[in-house]
Amino acid sequence: MLELSGIGRRYRVGSGEVTALADIDLSFPTGSFTTLVGRSGCGKTTLLRILAGLERPSEGEIRRGGDGKLRTAVVFQEARLMPWLDVAGNVGFGLRGRVPRAEAAERCAATIELVGLSAFAGAMPAQLSGGMAQRVAIARALVQEPDLLLLDEPFAALDAFTRRTMQNELVSIWQRRRPTIVFVTHDVEEAVLLGERALEMQGGRIVGREAIALPYPRDPTDPEVNLHRRAILSRLMATPAPVPA
Amino acid sequence: MPRFTTIAVFAATLALWWLASRLGWVSPFLLPGPGTVAETMGELAASGELLRHTLVSLKRVLLGYLFAIAFAVPLALAFVLSRPLRATFEPLLEFLRQIPPLALMPLLMLWLGIGETQKVGIIILSCFFPIFLGVRGGFDSVDRKLIDVGTVCGFSRPEIMLRIVLPSALPAIVVGLRIGLGYSWRALVGAELIASSAGLGYLIVDAENLARTDIVLAGILVIGVLGLLADHLLRFAIRRSAPWLSGDLEMARA
Repeated sequence: MLELSGIGRRYRVGSGEVTALADIDLSFPTGSFTTLVGRSGCGKTTLLRILAGLERPSEGEIRRGGDGKLRTAVVFQEARLMPWLDVAGNVGFGLRGRVPRAEAAERCAATIELVGLSAFAGAMPAQLSGGMAQRVAIARALVQEPDLLLLDEPFAALDAFTRRTMQNELVSIWQRRRPTIVFVTHDVEEAVLLGERALEMQGGRIVGREAIALPYPRDPTDPEVNLHRRAILSRLMATPAPVPA
Repeated sequence: MPRFTTIAVFAATLALWWLASRLGWVSPFLLPGPGTVAETMGELAASGELLRHTLVSLKRVLLGYLFAIAFAVPLALAFVLSRPLRATFEPLLEFLRQIPPLALMPLLMLWLGIGETQKVGIIILSCFFPIFLGVRGGFDSVDRKLIDVGTVCGFSRPEIMLRIVLPSALPAIVVGLRIGLGYSWRALVGAELIASSAGLGYLIVDAENLARTDIVLAGILVIGVLGLLADHLLRFAIRRSAPWLSGDLEMARA
């Protein structure tokens, strides 16, 4: 269980202050799949960065279950590959020095195959398309077999077909390994297709929660999917968009 | 550029030179033909004079370049690591950077005499700033987003430094090193033109006094070839040790 209570995050901008997050109380049960959906600038990425430990909240508390050490992996909006390492080197980037070499190589090869890039294991990032680079980034996260997998609009740069395949792949990985997943997206359909629940964000606050108890894999044309979509959209549209600071 | 084109351009320049002296476009006294220069170069080589001067110059360049690296790299690192240090001394360094090293030559001669120290000093001054700026710029421009990747992987600070920051900074460092090497060759001749008794620069200025343009040209060619060789050697070493840098290397041609 991962719990946030009273989380807030403020930034100094010039002489003033901007509130990016306020009064976030959330719990993420172990093995759950949560999507965070909202407009650009609503605080989704900030929340994810706080979960990843990349930023400290200005106030509030994070409680990590168990011994407090969650193996965390993040997939960012951009691939963020190391340009000096080939695909295999990038995928194994976080394993080196932590896992025996042979095991690391084996896990890397299996994960690269999973994202369909076996033929490109020796390719350099500069030789990859945007979609391929993003798949490498996803493999880099998966290969660590994380307890907590955080994804920040990871499929935004992919074409519709690849996005669909990757969404299904992510769901099947989650079903097999059961990491806790927090998936940020501005695409309401994607939020409904993937999550067991969708949290709606607006102006740095959680403004709605939608439990989605549909079986996987979900079909975008399924009327049930549409119902959830409509419910989320209507709530997000009803809340006024924050005035830009 | 394909190898053939490179050879063709060199050959065409040589042919033009040959024509210019052969057809008397320029007085052979001012511009001796390639044949004469080659002959002179052969004589200089046979007598051992060319090797002697070349070795003296090479030693100066190497010493100056290595000293410049030894000064520039730690100072640049100190600037990267300490903001107060940087804020305090950067304006002074910016001021010094504007002064051409050759303008400091008279002062260096008074301070250091006319021996090796003064010549190596000029070379150090010439290639210090490209190296310093390359190293500082390289570390300054490391993408914070890549550091995030290391943080999420649970890397320690030394690990982030070694596995992300250093390789990220390498392209700019390499560009600085390469430009610095080029500058060191240019400064060498300046240093040797004045108050010197050996070295390729001395060979040139001495020949000028004797009105031996063939030797002047031979000296110039040797300097060009050695500079090119040094540059290729550096590029070869980099391509072997860091193949992904090949693209960045070309920036140093500017």
